[in-house]
Amino acid sequence: MTILVGYLPTPEGEAAVDAGLREGALRGERVIIVNSPRRGAPVDERKIDDAAGAELLRRARESGVDAELRQPLHDDDLAETFETLVEETGASLIVIGLRHRSLVGKFIMGSEAQRILMESTIPVLTVKAAL
Amino acid sequence: MSDPTSPPGPKSVQDGPPEPDPRAADLQEEADRLQAEMEEARPPHGGPISQVAAALVALAVGVFGAVGSYALGLGRLTQPGPGLWPFAISVVIVVLSVVLLLTGRHLRDTERFSRSSLQTAAGVLSLVGLAVLLPVIGFEIPSLLLMFVWLRLLGKESWRSSIVISFGAVAAFYVLFVLLLQIPLPRLV
Amino acid sequence: MDISPILEGFGVVLEPANLLYCLIGVIIGMLIGVLPGLGPGATIAILLPITYSIEPVSAIIMLAGIFYGAQYGGTITSVLLRLPGEASSVVTVFDGFAMAKQGRAGTALGIAAIGSFIGGTVSIIGLTLVAPVVAGFALDFGPPEYAALGILGVLLISSVGNGNKLKAIIAAGIGLLIATVGRDTFTGAERFTFGSLNLAEGIDFIPIAMGLFGLSEILYNLEERHNRVHAPAKVGNVWPSRGDLRQSGGAIGRGSVIGFVLGVLPGGGAVLSSLAAYAFEKRRAKRPERFGQGAVEGVAAPETANNAAATSSFIPLLTLGIPANATMALMFGALLIQGIQPGPQLVTEHPDVFWGVINSMYIGNILLLIMSIPMVGLFVRILRVRPAIMAPITVLITLLGAYTVRNQVYDIFLVIAFGVLGYLMKKFGFEPGPLVLAFVLGSMIESSARQGLLILGGDPVGFLTRPISGTVFALIVVVLLWPLIRGALRRKTSHRVEEKISS
Repeated sequence: MTILVGYLPTPEGEAAVDAGLREGALRGERVIIVNSPRRGAPVDERKIDDAAGAELLRRARESGVDAELRQPLHDDDLAETFETLVEETGASLIVIGLRHRSLVGKFIMGSEAQRILMESTIPVLTVKAAL
Repeated sequence: MSDPTSPPGPKSVQDGPPEPDPRAADLQEEADRLQAEMEEARPPHGGPISQVAAALVALAVGVFGAVGSYALGLGRLTQPGPGLWPFAISVVIVVLSVVLLLTGRHLRDTERFSRSSLQTAAGVLSLVGLAVLLPVIGFEIPSLLLMFVWLRLLGKESWRSSIVISFGAVAAFYVLFVLLLQIPLPRLV
Repeated sequence: MDISPILEGFGVVLEPANLLYCLIGVIIGMLIGVLPGLGPGATIAILLPITYSIEPVSAIIMLAGIFYGAQYGGTITSVLLRLPGEASSVVTVFDGFAMAKQGRAGTALGIAAIGSFIGGTVSIIGLTLVAPVVAGFALDFGPPEYAALGILGVLLISSVGNGNKLKAIIAAGIGLLIATVGRDTFTGAERFTFGSLNLAEGIDFIPIAMGLFGLSEILYNLEERHNRVHAPAKVGNVWPSRGDLRQSGGAIGRGSVIGFVLGVLPGGGAVLSSLAAYAFEKRRAKRPERFGQGAVEGVAAPETANNAAATSSFIPLLTLGIPANATMALMFGALLIQGIQPGPQLVTEHPDVFWGVINSMYIGNILLLIMSIPMVGLFVRILRVRPAIMAPITVLITLLGAYTVRNQVYDIFLVIAFGVLGYLMKKFGFEPGPLVLAFVLGSMIESSARQGLLILGGDPVGFLTRPISGTVFALIVVVLLWPLIRGALRRKTSHRVEEKISS
């Protein structure tokens, strides 16, 4: 079994990785860190470079978890990207970070976390950034 | 994208014997490799059929031009008629197209049409729609529709951002073209 | 040499409005150069309608600003993402991206900016000195010479450009044919108009350029090609150290000269010169193996050269009226729209335009230097804009802009038609550049050729026996036979290499 962890280079993303690795160590499951940038623009600040990716994997090894980094591109369908990964890997849990959004912000941008929560077929663990 | 390697560049600035520089050849190779890497994103090439089709279309244009300009009257060299110059060009096009037809079968510079070419077709249709509607109902609604179609259907943006960006852009166009520059675009009211 | 017109030219440039247009042009150029997809040609084409409503000098100053601004914009993506926005920045990738990997992206960009500035300035000084001389020489040219020069220009651009030469020349032929549509100025006969009143006036340059350069590129990019997303790169310190400057000083100097000389040649002046400058530096370096591993000269030389070449490519346009590349063809068109015929008379008949444009380049280069170094961070941010959002906005600007020129929906349809034509040409391996260029030169070549025939009493041999047009025709033959000559040379050298290996 595997755990999918949604990662972005933000405090929420870090919190998600921390929680995901803890969960992985606890359950003795493999962790797949999903860092999915938006397709289209040549640069996406949410994508991490190779060095940062290696650092994440090093952290996983330190917590004694077998981890892997995936960086699939998504369009307006991050929830679907996760669903595909769930089907492919037979994952048992998704871990994502939640951030505070104003009502207006949520209306304009939508909330990807919300869609993952609603559309996921497996349990989702949401965490907040460390205060 | 252009091909930086076609002319034998380095030679022309180097003095000394015109012997090819092995390093310059390396450079060309490197540039080629980079070019090839950038071309990776291109769809696969179209094969001989599309090459033949391209040459035939060019040939047809040439023949059409030649016939049309011959009808216009070639005149004489001392008194060239209106058809002389287009006739001369058409003959060149015909000759070169025939050469292309015979020698260009194995070129690899055409691109195959794929499912995503349908996107382009849809895009063109939306442009024609704008041009048809513009004089009838003004520029606002057609522009809005065009923006939305391109964002939502062709760009796969979310519903929300498609709507927000469409309205924002058309409002900005209105302010710029109508209010600031006072260009007489056809308008709704 | 009488320098008062030069000084008056500075007066023209330093008018606040023109300074503003110069600034706008450079900024637009840099922005567009950074964004992948739209090249400087497409941008200039799309903005052509604007030039309709402003002063000729201001229009050309702005378009020139776009042109060299875009040169630098392409450098940013070459260094940071290994994505050369412009063909002339392709070689910059080798050492630029290597430097970025070592955390010296800022240094590379800084050196490129300084090199561009010096190369550009050296080239403008050359332009100031050479252009009036060439123009004076060309004043004696008669119609046969112009016909020959025009044909040579079309051929050179078709054959030096990228892709298949045969296809390029066919495209140029079709451009010449399109130029004949409408009423014949000599006999009044209507050619290829099919009874249409719109076509009887001939086809306007603006919709052709907007369609073939602007819209076709957008349509082409609609088929998703950008499937690689990069993590944001760190730029770091943009100011090169004194050591870097010392190391690249020679490269910048030599790059300026190479760029100036090669830029005058029709065809891919900027592309060719960047390649040549890089090869030259690598060849004379004490440790050539450093190149490709992040040698600062490897960025300085091509970037200096391509900017110098971009500047000196104005010489054939301003003095002979022959555009040296597709972008210059657009400049040519923009001048024609304003009722100004580029050519040797330009310097005497419109000294304000001639010197205004040249002197604006000094200012433009200074603006470029001032803006590029501190604003690199901003330009890098633009890379996060998705093309899917830019595309419909550009399309709307294009179509509405085309309408505003004559307030006719017919022009929108023309742009769409030529946009589709350009898209199909690209799909089938034809470059639109030669077509547009040939279209621009078409009526000039035809009328010169016909006047020439009249002058020579209907004897086409006269074109070959007049010294200047004869020379030009000899060059035409060389250009036509060049692929064969080169093929023969290649075969010979490869034999030699084989001999070396076997011995």
